[in-house]
Amino acid sequence: MVASSVNQPVVVAPLLVALATAILTLLARFDLRVERVVSLAGGVGYTAVTALLFQRVVLGSESVLPYYLSNWPAPYGITLVADALSASMLALAGVVTLPALVFAVVSVRERGQRLSFHPLYHFMLAGVSGAFLTGDIFNLFVWFEVMLMSSYVLVVFYSGPEHTRAALSYVVLNLLGSAVMLVAIGGLYATTGTLNMAAMARRLGEPAAYNVAVAPTLGLAALLLAVFALKAGIVPFHFWVPAAYRAAPAPVTAVLAGVVKKVGIYAIVRLFFTVFVAAEYANGSALDYVGPVLVVTAVASMVYGGLAAVGRDELEQLLALSSVGQVGFIVLPLGIAALAPNLPMPNGVPGETLAAFGVAAALVYSFNHAVAKGLLFLVAGTLTDVIGTTEFDRLGGIARRAPVLAGAFLLGGLSLIGVPPLIGFFGKLLVFRVGVLAGAAGSGTAARLAWLGLAAALVGAVLTIAYVTRAWNAVFWGEPPKTVEAVLEERWSAGRRESTAAAADGGQFGVTSRRTLAVEAVVLAVLAVTLVGFGVGADLVVEAAAEAGEAATDTAGYVDGVYPEDGIDGVPADGGDHSGDGGGH
Amino acid sequence: MTQWLLAAVLGLLFALGTFLVLRRDVVRVVWGVAIISQSANVYLVTMGGLAGAAPIGDFRGETPPPTDPLVQALVLTAIVIGFGTTALALVLTYRVYEEHGTIDVYDLGGEGL
Repeated sequence: MVASSVNQPVVVAPLLVALATAILTLLARFDLRVERVVSLAGGVGYTAVTALLFQRVVLGSESVLPYYLSNWPAPYGITLVADALSASMLALAGVVTLPALVFAVVSVRERGQRLSFHPLYHFMLAGVSGAFLTGDIFNLFVWFEVMLMSSYVLVVFYSGPEHTRAALSYVVLNLLGSAVMLVAIGGLYATTGTLNMAAMARRLGEPAAYNVAVAPTLGLAALLLAVFALKAGIVPFHFWVPAAYRAAPAPVTAVLAGVVKKVGIYAIVRLFFTVFVAAEYANGSALDYVGPVLVVTAVASMVYGGLAAVGRDELEQLLALSSVGQVGFIVLPLGIAALAPNLPMPNGVPGETLAAFGVAAALVYSFNHAVAKGLLFLVAGTLTDVIGTTEFDRLGGIARRAPVLAGAFLLGGLSLIGVPPLIGFFGKLLVFRVGVLAGAAGSGTAARLAWLGLAAALVGAVLTIAYVTRAWNAVFWGEPPKTVEAVLEERWSAGRRESTAAAADGGQFGVTSRRTLAVEAVVLAVLAVTLVGFGVGADLVVEAAAEAGEAATDTAGYVDGVYPEDGIDGVPADGGDHSGDGGGH
Repeated sequence: MTQWLLAAVLGLLFALGTFLVLRRDVVRVVWGVAIISQSANVYLVTMGGLAGAAPIGDFRGETPPPTDPLVQALVLTAIVIGFGTTALALVLTYRVYEEHGTIDVYDLGGEGL
């Protein structure tokens, strides 16, 4: 208790590492080699500190680690909070961002790296880390902006006609989303009188004691849900996804799909399952309102994303649309869990209540999607680097010419489909289990919605098999067309530069050295092994997700963690003790 | 009185911003976004209350309490962020014009889903 009330540097470490690396890479722009080394060191450091935080919070004994910036007690200052949910999301970010960064170092054109790639990448990581860690709702907005600002520039990075157009809609949509978020935050502040999430949860739980009008917060929560759905690319707000993912460089797309998207999911979980759940509205809790909405949008996402992806003739677009569908699988357990959050779970299920289990299932699936989709986007990026295109017409027969590439794609695809022993199997298993348990135990609308979600998940799973198989057939099997024939044999056997075919194809990316390919292949292999490794050792992921699920749904624990001593709204009752270990300077 | 006036002004500003965002001209869209984010800022300021005195000095125990200064700090942050994003959006508009030779949303088209 005493130990956890002291500010511990490990909580801010991911933020500081990312920020420091971003600034150092800005300073090191005089020499690309130095900049790369700094950037890679920062990437390794980021993964290391997220792993450390994960080890402390999820695997260790401490449950909620608050960090009071400048030692201002909550709720007066900004509080960063690392609980199992935040730490798991950060660990996910750590797993995906390092391989993507290594890939980017060899894949992004030198001029681009020299200009701004590395600072932007690390600023984006800083924004992501801040959003995962903050316990203050306005601060969440600020970190969203930090993350988005970098991602705007990274989407328009290549600055061609397609890229500018995609970035324009991405920027305009997100600016509108930010304005809406600001309105919602202002309204929440006006009604609850605080911006601190823990304080807000406490005040919403005892509205009479704090003189809070609860009803308006429901509408404001709905506004926030729309904003987070936009960030996560859930169906009515998905339209920016394909263009933006296609425009960004492949490693950035891997991070956008793997991590940045998950920030929206995280925000939904944090605000609805931890904060708004405390409030009692006219017809139940906030979860009762939000559950059906989440289930319906998830169903729409899975079906739409799957159908749209099946029809695409271009690998990157197919993967981008598949992201829309896969996010549906992440949102579905959240929605079903929100319908009957307090349903007790039988033994052997990770999570004591349906809410905790739903969040855990969503997190395992998020992890699967982050690694698998990141891997697949990097495969697409390698194809672009080597052949200069990812159109199915101009690809084929690559399995025999580039076995590592093919193997990586196969594993990524199989994990997306959900084949054991890959981690994707456990993700799908848990998602379906949530639906079955809720459908069997629930009654009325909740059960019907759970079965509907389950049916749609089945359709979505079949569609996933369809589009992964189609992409595999088109790209890796069959007769190689001239584009592949000319490029690949030379590159992978003799390693000669400047193939004529790629240049004639207009593929300005098609000039790739052997070393580049070797590094890219290693990154792909590492990610593929990660998928298998975490699939075989799925216990770790599932247990971490279960911890995170408990943490996310334990509002009282979260509030107590942020206010270690029980005082009046953040002012410790026993001031001497608190300032003795924290504020003595 | 002030709050009714501000409510009306806010409504008008949001309506104007929405109207501009729906235009075909990208520059107008960007201005529409800028107006919407500025009206969000005005909204934020009004959330601090309009009746109290300026929050400078020691107001412990006094009634009515002074205006909440926190929202003004929030708005400052939001203004800075809005400034940056508007600048980026305008530059992006110019890049779009350079790449496509038009800033008409219909002519720019899109990938279509």
